[in-house]
Amino acid sequence: MSFDTVLAQARAEGRTLLNEVEAKLLLKEAGVSVANTTLAKSRDEAQAQAEAAGYPVVLKVVSPDIAHKSDVGGVKLNLRDTAAVGAAFDEILASSKKAVPGANILGVAVQHMAPQGTEVIVGMTTDPQFGPVMMFGLGGIMVEVLKDVSFRLVPLADKDADQMINEIKGRPVLAGVRGQPPSDIAALKQTILKVSEFVEKHPEVRELDLNPVFAYPDGALAVDARIVISES
Amino acid sequence: MAVPGHRLDRMFNPEVVAVVGDKGPMYMWLQNNMPFKEKGGRLYSVQLDEKEIPGIEALGIQNFRSMADIPEPIDYAIVAVPRQVSPYVLKDLIANGAHGAAFFTSGFAETGEELGIKLQDQLTAMAREANFNLVGPNCMGLYLPRSGVRFNADAPVTDEGKIGFLSQSGTHGIMFSLVSAANGLYVSRCASFGNAVVLDVADYLEYLMLDGETEIIGMYVEGVKDGRRFFEVLREACKRKPVVVWKGGQTEAGARATMSHTGSLAAPQAVWDGMMRQCGAITTNNLDETIDTMKLLLNSKRPKGNGMALMAQTGGQSVSITDAFAKSGLRVPRFSDATYAELGEFFNIVGGSYQNPLDMAGTIQGSMDTLDRILRILDADPNVDAMAMELSAMFAARQWKKAPDSLDKTIDTLAAHQARSPKPFLVILHPAHEAEYVASIAPKFHAKGIPLFPSFERAAAAMQRVLAFENR
Repeated sequence: MSFDTVLAQARAEGRTLLNEVEAKLLLKEAGVSVANTTLAKSRDEAQAQAEAAGYPVVLKVVSPDIAHKSDVGGVKLNLRDTAAVGAAFDEILASSKKAVPGANILGVAVQHMAPQGTEVIVGMTTDPQFGPVMMFGLGGIMVEVLKDVSFRLVPLADKDADQMINEIKGRPVLAGVRGQPPSDIAALKQTILKVSEFVEKHPEVRELDLNPVFAYPDGALAVDARIVISES
Repeated sequence: MAVPGHRLDRMFNPEVVAVVGDKGPMYMWLQNNMPFKEKGGRLYSVQLDEKEIPGIEALGIQNFRSMADIPEPIDYAIVAVPRQVSPYVLKDLIANGAHGAAFFTSGFAETGEELGIKLQDQLTAMAREANFNLVGPNCMGLYLPRSGVRFNADAPVTDEGKIGFLSQSGTHGIMFSLVSAANGLYVSRCASFGNAVVLDVADYLEYLMLDGETEIIGMYVEGVKDGRRFFEVLREACKRKPVVVWKGGQTEAGARATMSHTGSLAAPQAVWDGMMRQCGAITTNNLDETIDTMKLLLNSKRPKGNGMALMAQTGGQSVSITDAFAKSGLRVPRFSDATYAELGEFFNIVGGSYQNPLDMAGTIQGSMDTLDRILRILDADPNVDAMAMELSAMFAARQWKKAPDSLDKTIDTLAAHQARSPKPFLVILHPAHEAEYVASIAPKFHAKGIPLFPSFERAAAAMQRVLAFENR
């Protein structure tokens, strides 16, 4: 699926928010390390895709009408067998329909539940004065409360990605604290640079979140993705 | 011409200047620009108010009742007329073939009024169509110390200027020009550009970047019209010379709709900070930090590392100078064994110390030879990248006043060290209880190009900024 196809489809449907499956597919094609995620339209499809992904798996509702998936009971984590996946599929559909009556539910996103890593956020937004800018920060409380994030204008040079990572106050966390292994800085840097390339190539992208990205001692993986496109 | 072929070159190197609409009894704009006339420039007045003309002619300035009568094209005009008249003046300037003009006139879009916005749009459209270099409006215009073109009567006329300065605010442009001069640092070219409707920061910045007389650039900026262009010119400028950016104002985030976490976190100041770092600019928060940084950039050698040798006069100050530099992210390393061996031969450790920092008043005892010996030893130490030395008005002012020669000898010793050493050197002289006296001797340090700071913290912050620039 090419960027143009996804873009055309979203615009035809009057959407500016790409769904998680679409966003991840485009980012994967752009060389960003993202968790494989597939769209299951039925209970059977969900179970088959879970088998293929490998347990444990995560199921999330996919609907253009539901922005905050966990608020509507649309997310089920750590599902360990086919029976659990089937039950979770039914529950997600039921609770989502109940919370947002009439919502257009496309199905459920199925992905292998990645092992926990150090959480970081990689994002992009369109600044009214400077245009596309990239953001990097540690995830969770560091970004929510302390706003410990760094920015650079797109396109980024190698050095810019290095500086973005190194200038956040929480940088020592990535070096490994309290017995945690150090994070793969080179992999984080590649994630930043690949996203920068992606948004530079596609000016239709107005906002983008990879939140969280799990940083591991060897590699990094975006487990959730959001892309907002311009209206026309 | 400093930058041949650049669209701003004539205006920045004027031979013909006209003041439009100046008024008595002060005739501020004509008075400001008398040095231009004294240096041989052709200074004209345009004023049709019969009441004002005798006062203008009494200054020895040729007045024209109509701009059409001026016999040659104007390089730079200063326009101080009521806002309603300004479009007519601009029309006359374009007809004259003028190269540019600063509109001191205010009351435009900055008022938020309909009439002000309409008049500004009118000026903008006229100037754009004629490719006219309109500075402002709502600004103090240009300060060109070599040419004698000034926006303030206290601003020096000098050929020494090395600093190009740009300011969105007239006050900050003038304050910078005056305070930098009081610190022995001079402006090459300065523009106060106000509402920046035609020429924006990037246009002036590009000129200063190319101008051989400008060694370093500073600016006070609140916002820019074309952020991308500013980013690109700033990045290029920072490759060629140091650029100090004093970003003022917490730009409003506005009610921008965002659907992403990133968007909600992208506060304008945070994006500015990232952008400035990306360009390699030096960032400051106020006038003092801006001038402090420039003082080191212009007057000291560039640091190769962050190891400081710190020299204080007493024990208490040894602790304080170390705290200040360490808190700014600089190191206070151990000296080399050779340094300790050499200092150990003569250093008085009763009431003194030659760890880093040095507590040295008891050792020097007014001997310039001893001071010189210490400076040479530290200069040769491979662990030392830069040197900072306290002078104490608390102790020394009485002696310096009694024997001014002792102060001169100290300054000569320090200047000789600075000239031969490849390492940055700076002096901290707190005003203590002798503010007036210390202010009176500061020019002696400026004259020798010795960077002088009133506090450890300000010195340390300036050093840290220059180091960050070197490591950009």
